[in-house]
Amino acid sequence: MLALKLIPQLLCWVGMVLVLLRGFSGRRPTVVAAACAGFLLGLAGALTLLRFLPGEFSFGLIRDLVGGGFLLAWGVSVAAIYRSTGRVVSATWGERLAQRAPFAGAGTLLAGMVAAAVCACRLPGAEGKPLTYLLLALAGAVLVFAALALERVLPASFKVSLPGLLLLVVALLLFGSSSIIRLDLFSPLTMKVMKFTHDFVHQFFESMLIPDHLFIRPYLWQYIGLLFGKEIGFWGGLVIWFIPALLVLFAIQFERLPQVSQIRQGAARRKVTAAAIRSRRFRLVAPVLAAAVLAGAVYQSRFPSVEYWDPKPVLITASPSGEIFIPKKGVVDLEDGQLHKYLFKQGGREARFFVLMTPSGKLTVDLDACAICKPDGYGQVEGMVLCYYCKTYIPLDTVGKPGGCNPVPIAFTEKEDGVHLDGLTLINTWSNTVQSSARVKEGGK
Amino acid sequence: MRRLLETISGVLGSRALPPLVIGCFLLLYIGIAFATYDTLVVLMEIARTNVVLLVLLALLPLNHLIRLLRETASHLKLRRALHGATVGADPGLFDETVPLSDAASFAGLEARLVAEGYRTRRLPGALAAWRGGGNFPARICWRVATCLLFAGILISLTTRTSTRGAIIEGEQLSAASGGGKVERVVLAESRGAILSKSLAMEVAPPDREARRVFGLYPPSLYRGAFVYPRYLGIGLFVRFAAPDLPGGYEKHCILNIHPAGKEDSALIPGSPYRLLLSLERPEDGSDPYRTGRMNFLFKLFKGKDVLFAGSAPTGGEFVRDGYRISFPDARRLVITDFIRDYGVLLIWTAALLFVIALGLWLPVRVCFPRKEMLFLVEADAALAFSRAEGGRRRHAGAFHDALDLVEARRATTP
Repeated sequence: MLALKLIPQLLCWVGMVLVLLRGFSGRRPTVVAAACAGFLLGLAGALTLLRFLPGEFSFGLIRDLVGGGFLLAWGVSVAAIYRSTGRVVSATWGERLAQRAPFAGAGTLLAGMVAAAVCACRLPGAEGKPLTYLLLALAGAVLVFAALALERVLPASFKVSLPGLLLLVVALLLFGSSSIIRLDLFSPLTMKVMKFTHDFVHQFFESMLIPDHLFIRPYLWQYIGLLFGKEIGFWGGLVIWFIPALLVLFAIQFERLPQVSQIRQGAARRKVTAAAIRSRRFRLVAPVLAAAVLAGAVYQSRFPSVEYWDPKPVLITASPSGEIFIPKKGVVDLEDGQLHKYLFKQGGREARFFVLMTPSGKLTVDLDACAICKPDGYGQVEGMVLCYYCKTYIPLDTVGKPGGCNPVPIAFTEKEDGVHLDGLTLINTWSNTVQSSARVKEGGK
Repeated sequence: MRRLLETISGVLGSRALPPLVIGCFLLLYIGIAFATYDTLVVLMEIARTNVVLLVLLALLPLNHLIRLLRETASHLKLRRALHGATVGADPGLFDETVPLSDAASFAGLEARLVAEGYRTRRLPGALAAWRGGGNFPARICWRVATCLLFAGILISLTTRTSTRGAIIEGEQLSAASGGGKVERVVLAESRGAILSKSLAMEVAPPDREARRVFGLYPPSLYRGAFVYPRYLGIGLFVRFAAPDLPGGYEKHCILNIHPAGKEDSALIPGSPYRLLLSLERPEDGSDPYRTGRMNFLFKLFKGKDVLFAGSAPTGGEFVRDGYRISFPDARRLVITDFIRDYGVLLIWTAALLFVIALGLWLPVRVCFPRKEMLFLVEADAALAFSRAEGGRRRHAGAFHDALDLVEARRATTP
């Protein structure tokens, strides 16, 4: 079962070693040694991290490493397109450096470490079982040699450019991490894009002194309102996600063909040009594959194969003085670490909220809505809650803190018998939250 | 010294500089995003006060200015070379430079190029050929626009000041916004494709200046500041008396209660009383702000408790249980920002130039991109130059055929 769970990550590891071997084709022994060492080091590091720093920190660190790789891919792809569109093309210091053995070794080592750490994150709760890690290390090393054997049968004309190599390695890391919700980068990216677009439009309107929606034609404001919806986060996220692959593709496609004007035989000229075009086509394979892998990562992020804990809200009433009381132990156990949803109705208005005990052992009462999104509510999964509207994962540690897409916290009193909160405050907070998020949804500033 | 200046100019005018600077800001944005949710606002705030970031931002307009000058100089050099106004040609101006064998002959070449659709010019010891229109005007527009855009952002970021004030019918404008009496505020339906309403704020300046009317967009400039209407409200004169407040209380309130139904509260200072006010929606669907027929709905709070709710028109009174609430006067008001920001003008100009650049570039690039060749005989050496802004493969084919012809003629010439 454990091995099955790790199949995507281990396949990504084989792919990474394969492409590294072909990218640094003159440095096979270095790449093999560095890959084995990197995988082993990465596993040891992840084991130490997860064992001694449990919680969000370890996952956050590994996610940031993968994110750093994505940023690096962005930088390299921009450099590649700039280089290919310039008139004077010469080998950059980066390319010269990439030809050296230490670079190949260090790059492979780092990739191996991150890949192993991602694999380790797929084994929650295995920190206490070193044998599992040992088996994983063994599997990692065996797969390196499998990749070496596979690489030898690949056609010699299949070549990988340095940007293509980096891009494909990063894409495989992103794919591997996208099936682990705490490492997934695409969902947080869409949320950040949504927020950036919202802020940018707001700042743009203010900076350019454009009148508020009160004065703008409704049909036009509907179009502007599209910029405030979750779709802009998804599509903007896709653009950012795929741009490095597209830039590398364009960089290779727009590479200037070799100068053949000095060759006086037309046939010889055509042969040189055709050879250059053929070589270019083979180098396009890596970024095309990277784009496909990135698409797979997006799919896994959007449709994760996990089930959310999302209980049906329990209808609850307030006392004549307007106080809501929920006992700690009763039909439900408020301290079981699971989300418990409630529905409160008063005077034609209603509010949905939940009670949750966070991993730090504190009870928190929050609206089943955030201050930004349409109130579609939250579901719970693997140490996180998920905003159904914008698909943002919120670590359980931060539930109860206001801001962003976190559930809106409600003031309450915790007593020995249970949780007490004011019904009117709850209803008013819900009304204000839903009104403000509905305004955002409709395109308000 | 000259070398140092050239190096500095080389770095400042490098094509790599803009992505590097933008990359720095992107990294900073990502860094801030880890710490705060309002990333863009915080980034703007940091950039506004940090000299290093301002200098970094200033490199962008400077870079485009230097590249504008360089491109203009290159373009002029190229024109001169193609017109034979200079001796020789700089290979850096062309995509390809091919040395030809001695005593190359251009005989028949001109006819061949003309047949291929090129226009030619025979010069002493040289032959120039070209077709299509150049994208130089579009590039200049684009460079100027980019330069203005970043300069505008920089100026806006560093010099923008904003003062918020209420423009109330019949009242004086605040001294901070230049003074003058607001004679009328008129809200009307607009037939424009973008704005659904028009707003006219008529102000009689204190000195003998002509009467000014401030609209919505483009914003009017008044005493060096843009007049930027934000939202509409009502200036309401409230008279209130309660059994435990027999002396009564009078207050001018600025209420954000437009459109009808929106609520705002007025506190009665030194008392537990609070009025929650809104404009009643007329049955005919008209806007009371436009018609001036205003009926106010209110709820009277004492602490957290609602005592009663009622309504009264402008000039009307509501009396109940010893409470007396009246609204002797109500005036239209516009909450307005007076913004001093000259970067906005540069950004508007940049937007216009971007549109012009796109309009110039697209048809030229798609339909008739510039393609040029120059064949030159200098002393004992002969050179051929080629350059294309689009359709490179086809142009390269024509260029290679031309070179083959030149070489073939040389081979057959005894």
